[in-house]
Amino acid sequence: MSDTKAETAYKSLSSILTNTPPSSQNPASSLLYDPEISSQVSALLRHPNSGAGDDNLCRWLYDTFQSSDPQLQLVVVRFLPMIAGVYLSRVTLRKPLAGFEAVLLALYSHETTSRKGQSLTVNVPDLSHPSIYHESKAPSKNNATDLNLAVISPSLEPHGTVRSTRRARIVGVALELYYSKIPQMPVGSKIEFCEFCQAWAGQDGDMRKDGNGGDEVINQKEGISKEGRIPLPWELLQPVLRVLGHCLLGSNKKNKELYEAACCASRSLYARSLHDINPNAILATGSLVRLAKMGLDSQNDQVDHTEVPWTRVISL
Amino acid sequence: MADSGEYEGDDDGSVRELCANGACMKAAEVEAKLDEGNIQEAESSLREGLSLNFEEARALLGRLEYQRGNVEGALRVFDGIDLHAAIQRLQPSFSEKSASKKCRSRSDSHVSVSQHAASLVLEAIYLKSKSLQKLGRLTEAANECKSVLDAVERIFQQGIPDAQVDNRLQETVSRAVELLPELWKQVGCDHDAVAAYRRALLSQWNLDNECCARIQKRFAVFLLHSGVEAGPPSLGSQVEGSYVPKNNLEEAILLLLILMKKYHLGKIKWDPAVMEHLTYALSLCSQTSILAKQLEEIMPGVFLRSDRWNALALCYSAIGHNDAALNLLRKSLHKHERPNDLMALLLAAKICCEDCHLAAEGIQYARTALSNAQGKDEHLKGVGLRMLGLCLGRHAKVSSSDYERSRLQSEALKSLDGAITFENNNADLFFDLGVRYAEQRNLSTALRYAKQYIDATGGSVLKGWKLLALVLSAQQRFSEAEVVTDAALDETTKWEQGPILRLKAKLKIAQALPMDAIETYRYLLALVQAQRKSFGPLRSLSQIEDDKVNEFQVWHGLANLYSGLSHWKDVAICMGKARELKAYSAEMLHTEGKNWNFILTYEISNLNLHLLHAWKVTSLASFNELEDLYVYVMSTGVMHEECGQTHEALRAYINALLIEPSYVPCKVLVGSLFSKLGPKALPVARSLLSDALRIEPTNRKAWYYLGLVHKDDGRIADAADCFQAASMLEESDPIESFSSIA
Repeated sequence: MSDTKAETAYKSLSSILTNTPPSSQNPASSLLYDPEISSQVSALLRHPNSGAGDDNLCRWLYDTFQSSDPQLQLVVVRFLPMIAGVYLSRVTLRKPLAGFEAVLLALYSHETTSRKGQSLTVNVPDLSHPSIYHESKAPSKNNATDLNLAVISPSLEPHGTVRSTRRARIVGVALELYYSKIPQMPVGSKIEFCEFCQAWAGQDGDMRKDGNGGDEVINQKEGISKEGRIPLPWELLQPVLRVLGHCLLGSNKKNKELYEAACCASRSLYARSLHDINPNAILATGSLVRLAKMGLDSQNDQVDHTEVPWTRVISL
Repeated sequence: MADSGEYEGDDDGSVRELCANGACMKAAEVEAKLDEGNIQEAESSLREGLSLNFEEARALLGRLEYQRGNVEGALRVFDGIDLHAAIQRLQPSFSEKSASKKCRSRSDSHVSVSQHAASLVLEAIYLKSKSLQKLGRLTEAANECKSVLDAVERIFQQGIPDAQVDNRLQETVSRAVELLPELWKQVGCDHDAVAAYRRALLSQWNLDNECCARIQKRFAVFLLHSGVEAGPPSLGSQVEGSYVPKNNLEEAILLLLILMKKYHLGKIKWDPAVMEHLTYALSLCSQTSILAKQLEEIMPGVFLRSDRWNALALCYSAIGHNDAALNLLRKSLHKHERPNDLMALLLAAKICCEDCHLAAEGIQYARTALSNAQGKDEHLKGVGLRMLGLCLGRHAKVSSSDYERSRLQSEALKSLDGAITFENNNADLFFDLGVRYAEQRNLSTALRYAKQYIDATGGSVLKGWKLLALVLSAQQRFSEAEVVTDAALDETTKWEQGPILRLKAKLKIAQALPMDAIETYRYLLALVQAQRKSFGPLRSLSQIEDDKVNEFQVWHGLANLYSGLSHWKDVAICMGKARELKAYSAEMLHTEGKNWNFILTYEISNLNLHLLHAWKVTSLASFNELEDLYVYVMSTGVMHEECGQTHEALRAYINALLIEPSYVPCKVLVGSLFSKLGPKALPVARSLLSDALRIEPTNRKAWYYLGLVHKDDGRIADAADCFQAASMLEESDPIESFSSIA
């Protein structure tokens, strides 16, 4: 049944895109991974008049997400960086953006339902209590650990419209959903995300780059304007930083382009945190920047401890 | 280690050899045979030369091939041995196992015999796995590697004996434990990787500290960044009473904290990346107080001390402990440390600009920051200017003379205007400028910035709406201000609407629509009550702070409104409802101030003047918020004043002043009272009112009373000036002080 859903979605997208892609054996997977389709959808989303209430693509994204087919939902989530990026940068222009908002609200309410509106918390461990990974001799007063309960995502209320004071939260929660699906996201989507981080930061992070080779990179990146700068309250910045952490450190540097985009985004957001003099953000982004730098420095001289040492005499 | 590279390096004279059973053979001889593709011959020459059995010879050959980088050859050699059969043979049979419990010495000897054989077989499988990894056959590599661990568990069912373990066996086991999760990660089987990490860390492998630390760190990084939700560990690994992490972040933080502890205990080397990952994780949870504790525990010498102070300052500032943060920054900005560190300077300036007694210090930091924002840091010039402007503006509030104040204020505006040339898209600057201009009653400019702020933030920040409404109200454009509050109500959710509703009520009063105002207050009260009931304990602190409506202020506003109308019947109705709330709130609430205000309302309705007595029996500490206390005490004073009990009123006001000497409304009231006490008191009144005007030059009541004082003293010209100031200010008086939103 989901195949037919995917086929329907594939067909209706074909009618929206300019270059109709040939029909596919595995429509759900093509929608998610086909670079040709992605680039066409991205181009449409970036179009200056996109995102209005009557935008066909937004309607398609909304309908596709509401199909409640997990594979198809991934397709919509895949385009979240682009949707959120264009949307947040364009909010200040007072353009009609109801199409984008409908998609974002759909993602938000999906997350609200699946979490039953509950907040996400972290119980920061206290090492004086024994854990599965360590022993402790301290007398264990039972369950005194909940002193360090941290709320990483507050409870969710249902929203039928995007009220502007809740905009950052709604996008932030949509990004939490994106983060939970991130292992399935194609690299292109993550790169788009990193590029929007830079735009949102509105700071040329490369100015912060230490030492050699900096000039060259600055010239390359001059194209990124400060136009996209948006307010970055913690409820938006925190999920952004979680996604960025994955882009930078989660994928084993398999993809050089993504890694570099993530490095640039980290530097930009670090610079922005300094501009905002936001201590929490300075700590988080600063550590990302330093970890990226450590990664580059230690790329060549890392000892592989799983390697068998070379010996002159081979014995039993 | 690069095998082929090392291999080529052996021309330097050292001859590589194969040794076993006390005999040696040159590796080159065997290699020649292997190069011809003749494994059997190579094998038999080894068996003869070194008196080995088939499996031993093969294992040795495989190792040789592997070491010279011929992993395909190594695989061919290993494929010739039935490794799994060998493992089968190594496993203790059931009878032996039960026997081993009865007769320990026998089983020990068995273990030592089988250790050598096990080492041989396991190393062979491990090398096979490594060979497969190098050929990119990752799934096969992972399965082989896993079979090493399975075999170890089957052969050594009681765990590896740590006392007499064969070194080489232990090395193979450690390597396999470390390799397996990495292989699964390379394959892309994230859940197998999680299982392998947990197996590595939760089973007894007798790993050395560094090896265990490497695995713990990699697992923590994987949990933090892979995006794969690992799920809680299986029940089997849980020990009664021990902490079990229930999600990725908890598990990662636990592992990183354990690594920090191991470092403190001297068990492992310092790894800066661990601290960075921990910083990232804890700052994402806003748990920087725990981070600060970690930073404090690190031994001197690991960090540059100024770096540590700066990091600690960030941690403390992030949780609002600005005093502690500033003290640390003072240390790190000392001239013998790093007085030019931009981040530290800016943070220090920001902390200082929030307190008028620190603002002068902040000006210095901001100036130093400005002069150091050069080269790659030039982009921070605008931030430096902004901080300078804010500190100057704050400092102006405590300046000793008019001249000084106006100089500081114009400098502050100049800095902020300068900042905007660097950061023409920084919304916060629009807001700062809007407030600053509004405070100076340059209302049209303030209006422009307030609008720009709303545009730049897309209306997402409540204080932007408040600023716009206040500026409009100061321009006496009340109906437009109301349009703004209505727009703001559209853009906010129910829970955040409190402050806007309060503004709206005040706007209604300003437009002489008291009944509408009462309606708005009623709605506001309903909201406050609903809010208290529905907020669970798990809302973040900031969320509560942002949304909170000061209930006391609501009641106070309502009381004022009713008493102004002399609608005592309505007051009584309102009071009845409040009484219910009081009974109810005694258990539920801690806001004592609200209860007292209830009494206040009650007293007003009965024109009963036992308030002061009521106040005396209350311990001051029972008020949660000082601000509420001033309002309360002042209201007491107002009551007395209205009833002609000047001295009683004065006593209440002075009490309020003792609590907060620079509380302007109270100073003005005391000043006005003194002005009525006859000619002798006039100088006191004048000094109090001048003082109030020093702190808040735009207080029109102060100007008015000062005018009265001048008039009574016969200084008619001065009096006229004061009255003119008062009347001009009245035309530009916002319904609420601008400083209430800054």
